[in-house]
Amino acid sequence: MKGVRLVSFLAAAIVVASCGSPPTSSGNTNTYSGKVIKLGAILSITGAGGVYGPQSRDGMNLAVKQINAAGGVLGATITLTINDDASLKATAAQLTQTLIQSEQDLALLGPTLSNSAVGAHPLAESLKTPILAVSTTGIHIVPDCNWSAATQDSTPCKYVFRDSLGEQTAIPNNIQSYANDAHPATGVLLVASDDKFSSDGGQIVQDTVGKYGINLLKVIKFSKAQPDLSGEVTQAVQLKPDVIFITSLGGIPAKIMTEARKQNWTGQFLGGNGFNTATVSAQAGAAGMGARSASAWYLGNTFPSNAEFVSAYRTEYNKDPDQFAAQGYAAINILADAAKRANLTFTDLAGDRDKLRATMETVNIQTPLGPFQFTPQHDVKQTVWVIAMDGKGGFTLVHKITTPTA
Amino acid sequence: MGQQLLDAIFIGSIYALFAVGYTLVFGILDILNLAHSAVFMFGAAITYSLVVNHGQSFWVACVLGVAACGVMGLVIEYICLRPLRRRRAPPIAALISTIGLALIIVAAIEQGRPGTFFAWLWVDGANSVAFPTGAVPNPTWHVAGLTLEASRIAIIPITIVLMVVLGYVMRFTQVGRGLRAVAENPRAARLMGLDVDRMITLTLVISSALGGLAGILFGVALGDISPYIGRDNVEVRGLAVIVLGGMGSIPGAVAGGYLLGLIELIAFLALGSNARLGVAFAALFLMLVLRPQGLFGAQLREKV
Repeated sequence: MKGVRLVSFLAAAIVVASCGSPPTSSGNTNTYSGKVIKLGAILSITGAGGVYGPQSRDGMNLAVKQINAAGGVLGATITLTINDDASLKATAAQLTQTLIQSEQDLALLGPTLSNSAVGAHPLAESLKTPILAVSTTGIHIVPDCNWSAATQDSTPCKYVFRDSLGEQTAIPNNIQSYANDAHPATGVLLVASDDKFSSDGGQIVQDTVGKYGINLLKVIKFSKAQPDLSGEVTQAVQLKPDVIFITSLGGIPAKIMTEARKQNWTGQFLGGNGFNTATVSAQAGAAGMGARSASAWYLGNTFPSNAEFVSAYRTEYNKDPDQFAAQGYAAINILADAAKRANLTFTDLAGDRDKLRATMETVNIQTPLGPFQFTPQHDVKQTVWVIAMDGKGGFTLVHKITTPTA
Repeated sequence: MGQQLLDAIFIGSIYALFAVGYTLVFGILDILNLAHSAVFMFGAAITYSLVVNHGQSFWVACVLGVAACGVMGLVIEYICLRPLRRRRAPPIAALISTIGLALIIVAAIEQGRPGTFFAWLWVDGANSVAFPTGAVPNPTWHVAGLTLEASRIAIIPITIVLMVVLGYVMRFTQVGRGLRAVAENPRAARLMGLDVDRMITLTLVISSALGGLAGILFGVALGDISPYIGRDNVEVRGLAVIVLGGMGSIPGAVAGGYLLGLIELIAFLALGSNARLGVAFAALFLMLVLRPQGLFGAQLREKV
């Protein structure tokens, strides 16, 4: 009987102890159980970036649902608010301030567009709140979020991270892979010069093509508000280039491809992150068939957690995920892992934000994007997938680049 | 150069067709209907949706799309304009009211995704979509180095014929005389026994139907249908067109549309694509300074 009492006492002691302190693997001393981890996402659900934002949102919501269903982060529940910046830089900045100061969110995600990140990220940095970009691929997103042509300020930003593949890696690898395959001699670049994402991509193309023997015949700049791009496409096609580079986003790539094919141009389209969603591939249709881009993710990738993610996403939304969904899903898991190890107090918000920032730097988890760690510059280093539009709204894999060159 | 000229005439036709709706309402009511760009988008969106999501043939969808835009004209009149007119609200109130309706229409389309309330209307949210290949008869010919696409070529005669018909109606029919009487002096028209409200309603229905048709043609020819095609592509340009052509003048709107298309082309060829809008608005500024009444507008005189 004494033995039974002793065992019962020990069992009760263990239960009480386990309730009172988190698992030893996290190294935490504070209690998470019953607490709330508030996250806020700033996404372009409407406007030009509305092609990409909803997928990020769906990926994030799925991850939050899964984590909370599995008991949360050491017992703490994640709450995520999705905030639409309407693809506007000013709105993104305003939301950043509201979520940090009024809503008192622990960390933020987004915004969708590089153009908006220029407004939002420096604000999060100055308010010392971690912000994880999930789809922004432009130049100077990380590490130097305060950089501008006027200031040339390249001081590293401590609170800004991204899990999206920068165009400085993606575009050169895409160009290199096509140059190796087909040895193109000439190209024309079509670039929306009033958009940061597009103009950054255009700059990267101009900086890269020479390395692979491609003579850039002309750079045709246009405004993203130009309704009819047939004049610009005619100018490009008349130069008979082997490649047309398109670094724009939203509906523009499909417009350009459709017009060029109508004019019987049979060369290769090479693009950037703007290509990497089924919506753009579907809009381009047959005209887009074979158009190549480098992607951070591919539906059929064999990373262990990708199959689980794809299956759960299909069950939840009855459709396939895309790169943006995978990056949103990965982002929530990255923040959850960092929060688990951060020994959050839930009483000292500024201190918690700083602890989270510190543990984000040491994240090392499996995601649908592959094994994930941030570089010292808070950027992502990962496998690059060169994909091609299949003419039916999907993509086929062309190359898997495990050690990207840039 | 031939191709570029053809493209300029095509886009000029779209501007003209769109701007006629603006100018018609301005001519009769002396107010700008800023919901017109949303109606332009609505025409394209609903036609696309009828074809792709509801299995209608393109021609049936086209007729229904134009009709739906005509109904939208009724909404503009009965919700945005008539109540304000009854209260003798200043024109600025009507302007704001139509901006509000435009925002509501765009937001409704933006929210249209599978499983939402607006899914019957639109399921593509903020995405830009195009009619699937084969859904719209659109043969393309290559003649003497020019690419002639049926959807682009057709817009030119459609615009011209519609403008001729509209011009005839306005000039030689009972309805047209009634509309012109209302435009000249609504109070006198009412004293002469004309149903002014009915005339205004008719104006908005015609104007919105034309705006919707312009949107459909734009969507077919450019393969770009999204909640923002009106706001981003034609709203400001439409205003420029009616200033160039003369506020309230139908021939002016047509001439202004083609003129804007040509100015944009010249700017593109001479200075590059980014100069298009800058040069176009510089021309607009010049017109306002040198000939404020526009190409076909009457001399502005203050009534005392």
